[in-house]
Amino acid sequence: MRTPAPKTPLQRPAVQEPEGFDTLYRDNVDLIYRYAYRLCGEAELAKDLVQETFLNAYQGLKDFRGEARVSTWLYTIASRASIRMRRKRKGEPEYKLSLEEFVPTSEGEFRLQIPMDGLSPEEALQNKELRQALDQAIEKLPQKYRMALVLRDMEGLSAKEVGTIMGLNERAVKSRLHRARLFVRRELSARGISHHDDHKSGGLHS
Amino acid sequence: MDLLRKLSAYIDDELPSDICREIRQHLGACPNCEVFIASLQHTVTLCRHRPTPQLTSVDRMNMRHAILDAANAR
Repeated sequence: MRTPAPKTPLQRPAVQEPEGFDTLYRDNVDLIYRYAYRLCGEAELAKDLVQETFLNAYQGLKDFRGEARVSTWLYTIASRASIRMRRKRKGEPEYKLSLEEFVPTSEGEFRLQIPMDGLSPEEALQNKELRQALDQAIEKLPQKYRMALVLRDMEGLSAKEVGTIMGLNERAVKSRLHRARLFVRRELSARGISHHDDHKSGGLHS
Repeated sequence: MDLLRKLSAYIDDELPSDICREIRQHLGACPNCEVFIASLQHTVTLCRHRPTPQLTSVDRMNMRHAILDAANAR
């Protein structure tokens, strides 16, 4: 007769194998995939990150004492894995964003608007061009800013929790978040996305 | 520039009320800033509603196998 592994709270060492891992996986795989996809922007990379995360979690289970929430623990593992994996893949060097670069220098830049007039975000995101522009803007963000943006504004975690996950104090989290948001705003404005919604584009999940 | 620095905190409702009031007063007088802040707010809203695809159960199963294989190989 199998004893079901404790879900939460985890008081003692981990999670008994192998049921414990199965529960951990089942309960959290969708969450971590969503995070991975938001970070990587692409399904196969996201799945690689998910696997890497759960592999590390599997190996770390015996030492996990439940000092953090399970989800926080997994987010942290995923975030570190993502940084490692990115380093291996190379890509453009990470650059810093400064506030100065977001200061509007001309009348027009204040006025650059994202066409959201009277639309709910879901309605606005029916526009394929806008969806793609948003994805590309986030993709273009240097990783450390993208991570803060995804964790805070998409995963909906508190600044404190984001700090725990990223190894930063709250002020640093908020600074990165702010720059990330300004960057994405500027990317969306600059593209001059068409107001003409593609009503034929059908469902959102194409 | 100083306003720019505070904007995220402003839209997240994290600023003390006296500073909020100052900013609102400025916004009342400055249509440019009002537009700018609105576009920043919209940006955040869009990020929050950004659609993400779901895993299929086949995906879940395959990944689980791959993880356990890798774990047992080490």
